[in-house]
Amino acid sequence: MLHRLLSLTEGKGITTSKPTDLVQGTVDLIILKTIALEPMHGWAIAQRIRQVSKNVLQVNQGALYPALHRLEQQGWIQAEWRESENNRRAKYYALTADGKKYLRREEANWDRLSAAIGLVLGKA
Amino acid sequence: MRWARKVRLLARSLFRKNEVDAELSEEMRFHLERQVEDGVGSGMSREEARRAAIREFGGVELVKEECRDTRRTAFLDHVYRDARYALRGLEKSPTFTIFAVTVLALGIAANTSIFSIADNVLLRPLPYRNADRLVMVWEDGSSFGFPKNTPAPGNFADWKSRNQVFEDIAAVGFEGSLTLLGEGSPEELQTRGATSNLFSLLGVQPALGRLFRPDDDDPGGGRVAILSYGLWQRRFGGDPQVIGKDLTLSQAKYTVIGVLPRGVHFLSRETELWTNAQFTPQQLANHGSHFLQVVARLKPGVSLQSANANLATIAAQLEKEHPDTNSKTGAFAVPLRDQLSGDIRPAILMLIGAVCFVLLIACANVANLLLARATRRRRELALPLALGATRRRLIQQMLTESVLLALLSGAAGLLLSVWGTKFLAALIPAGIAPLDGSGIDRRVLTFTTLISLGTGVLFGIMPALRTSLLDVASLKQGNAQSGGVGTGGKRIRDALVVCEVTLAVVLLTGAALMIRSLGNLYHLDPGFRAEHVLVVQTPLPRPKYADFARRAAFYDQVLARVGSLPGVVSAGYTTWVPLTNYGGANGITIEGHPEPAPGQMPIPNTRIVSKDYVRTLGMKLIEGRLIDERDSKGTQPVALINQAMARKWWPAEEAVGRRFKEGDYAAAAPWITIVGIVDDVHQAGLEAAARPEMYMPYQQQDFFQPSFLAVRTSGDPMSVVEEVRQQVWAVDKEQAVTGAMPLEDLIDDNLAARRMQTSLLGGLAGMALLLVSIGIYAVLSFTVTQRTQEIGVRLALGASRRDVLKMILLQGLRLFLAGAALGVVAALALSRALVHLLYGVGAYDPASFACVTLLLTAIAALACYIPAQRAMRVDPMVVLRYE
Repeated sequence: MLHRLLSLTEGKGITTSKPTDLVQGTVDLIILKTIALEPMHGWAIAQRIRQVSKNVLQVNQGALYPALHRLEQQGWIQAEWRESENNRRAKYYALTADGKKYLRREEANWDRLSAAIGLVLGKA
Repeated sequence: MRWARKVRLLARSLFRKNEVDAELSEEMRFHLERQVEDGVGSGMSREEARRAAIREFGGVELVKEECRDTRRTAFLDHVYRDARYALRGLEKSPTFTIFAVTVLALGIAANTSIFSIADNVLLRPLPYRNADRLVMVWEDGSSFGFPKNTPAPGNFADWKSRNQVFEDIAAVGFEGSLTLLGEGSPEELQTRGATSNLFSLLGVQPALGRLFRPDDDDPGGGRVAILSYGLWQRRFGGDPQVIGKDLTLSQAKYTVIGVLPRGVHFLSRETELWTNAQFTPQQLANHGSHFLQVVARLKPGVSLQSANANLATIAAQLEKEHPDTNSKTGAFAVPLRDQLSGDIRPAILMLIGAVCFVLLIACANVANLLLARATRRRRELALPLALGATRRRLIQQMLTESVLLALLSGAAGLLLSVWGTKFLAALIPAGIAPLDGSGIDRRVLTFTTLISLGTGVLFGIMPALRTSLLDVASLKQGNAQSGGVGTGGKRIRDALVVCEVTLAVVLLTGAALMIRSLGNLYHLDPGFRAEHVLVVQTPLPRPKYADFARRAAFYDQVLARVGSLPGVVSAGYTTWVPLTNYGGANGITIEGHPEPAPGQMPIPNTRIVSKDYVRTLGMKLIEGRLIDERDSKGTQPVALINQAMARKWWPAEEAVGRRFKEGDYAAAAPWITIVGIVDDVHQAGLEAAARPEMYMPYQQQDFFQPSFLAVRTSGDPMSVVEEVRQQVWAVDKEQAVTGAMPLEDLIDDNLAARRMQTSLLGGLAGMALLLVSIGIYAVLSFTVTQRTQEIGVRLALGASRRDVLKMILLQGLRLFLAGAALGVVAALALSRALVHLLYGVGAYDPASFACVTLLLTAIAALACYIPAQRAMRVDPMVVLRYE
């Protein structure tokens, strides 16, 4: 399911046949980072990811929700029903205190990892 | 915080499912609408936009299902559904359910009860502060036949002053008795004296008043008394005013200073009153009389090994300093828990093994029933498979049923164990806190739950796995006999029966060996005849009876009066009747023998008796004469010795007529002449071999005060108790007369623990036997049902009914014999573990093995015969018509 969540806009899926920790961690990181600024509903999260990644990352919308529900069940984010920008009731997700800590930790991990990969690829 | 959130969400998903589902739908709907709006905004038609949105989203229902899965309720949903389904299934077959629950409940109850006891005796902390650091310290007098001897005060004092390993070390005197006079009838109390540091060492706080203070040790100070909670309630009605009150105990004045908390005992539950021991400096220098029990607290971080090394060093020093008393005398420490539970531990371990076996047999039985049941229900069970359910789901469903069954049994077992634990509480040795209340607490509850769950999986897994392998295709073809759980299932059922028989053989053999041991002990000649003997105690209080003449007059008068009562054959006094005490032990010097090397002094046990005592107990005179009227204060000192003593020190000579004296070679004691040899008596316990022992007349031994009065009667010994009391009171109306009981009760008491263990093991073996016969019966009945058609065809084709009977009988007996053979092998291997619990019977006792095999064969033959007979009566016409 996770490998379906994100794909590159060229249409090639991320080339892993199974959801790996790396992929799941990346998805979590992107979602958490996205709602770190302000609480958002699912559709807005998908839009925002696309915009911010300058259309490079495309969110498979249907697959976004199980990820959100999982993060909620894990206690990193919490949901609240609110009035949306088009005056409808929508489910907004926001980081919990634990989620903020988790995000910080994951960001640091990501930095280390990307720096390390950069080193290996000789691009640092 | 995070956990709380998670639990809240999980609970919400579980219990407010509709609400959560509605929200999920709304969330999806919102997304799609928003996407449509977006599409319309960028110029698509509404219809186009909607199609694009749905395409981009994927299957809405699929996404919802994935969301539900992430909420992890699917598993719980299934459990709930399976449980309801299982309950309905169990309801539909009440006979099976009731049988399985009964069998398992008995097995679980047995396990829970034994666990409660084992937990209390072996695992739970003792009721003292940091009890894991408490040890008992003993003298090692192995070279004199006392491997675990009660220490002498002198040794205690030296250990105390020289050791580097104990935080503190305290001494307790042996259990004595004092007569409480005052309001009410004179009462005999079990008392112990102790050094003042005892209770602080144990970490006990008083319930009322105070416990001992260091100045209570002062030999010149006042005598003080600490009451047990029980005595305080019983005799003083729980009156707090009792503190500071003076009690008269055996003519001496004691001031009550405190009351122990409820349930706090040390060494014995019978001790009702603690006094300050007030050892004099002379006593604390005495290394020769051994009568203390010593308890110590290890310093933090000190191991038992280093404590023992330190004690050994001190013992070696003492050996050099006091060669006459301390030669070859070691010292060692034993953890208090081992000390208290030592005797009972092997028995408890044995019972744990036995209850596990019974539970395993019960599991095998229920597994067999489940297998048979699954075969009958295979169409019903195969349906979900045919409809595409995974095997995992089917296994989960079957396991839910068996776990549910086990939990029901666990609940029933827990109730049963309340009673079982009460019954077993007698196994808990003195000094370990008894079980309070129902005995069910969190630990027991956890244990029962775990064992129930384990049991459920254990007996459920095999049927579940088999069922999941159902061949759906063959069932669809309607092939009723060969489809589904076929020959593989039969092999498993057979294997289970074989296992059951094996376990039962082991259990029954253990029980047979224990029963044989008990029988041996009951038929053992204890060296005396206990029937028709009454025992009472008249402990003479000092200082009233400090004067020897006064004491002698008391004994003479009481014996004369009691001896002439109608129905009384004879009466005698002794320091200790058999099975109450080893007896004192004195070093002697034998005339004509060379001076023994230090530490080699002969030390026989000593009993001081009146002339008719030996006759009253029915001990056999082997040689010479008994003590009689001629032996009085002025005449030549005499002694009777037992055969063990004669054999040990006069192996090649005639012992009668020889002389010895008490004390060492240089002692200025009078020579004592041996006038007779009597049979060995099992004084210390029926299982203990007799030590060298001598009997001397009280008239010539003015140090001891015999307090046990034994009375041989022509009828029921208890019928003369009142007359005996009146005769004692006629001599001294203030004299306490206590502990009246038939001597036979002492034998019974001595065997009580073993009898209990044996009957428990016997009961468990009986349960196993019952379960196994049911198991064999069930398997064969099932076979007969399954093979009815085949049998019908055979009969129609000319097989005789005898052939059919033989066929079924042989099938059953083959299983039984395989199990029995395996069982005998296993029993041979395992009964070695029982060796130290056996008496007078080897672990490979052929008679026991033969008995068990015969008994089991008979039961198995019966269990086989009934279904075989049913098979024989199959009517071929009916079967063929049905076909």
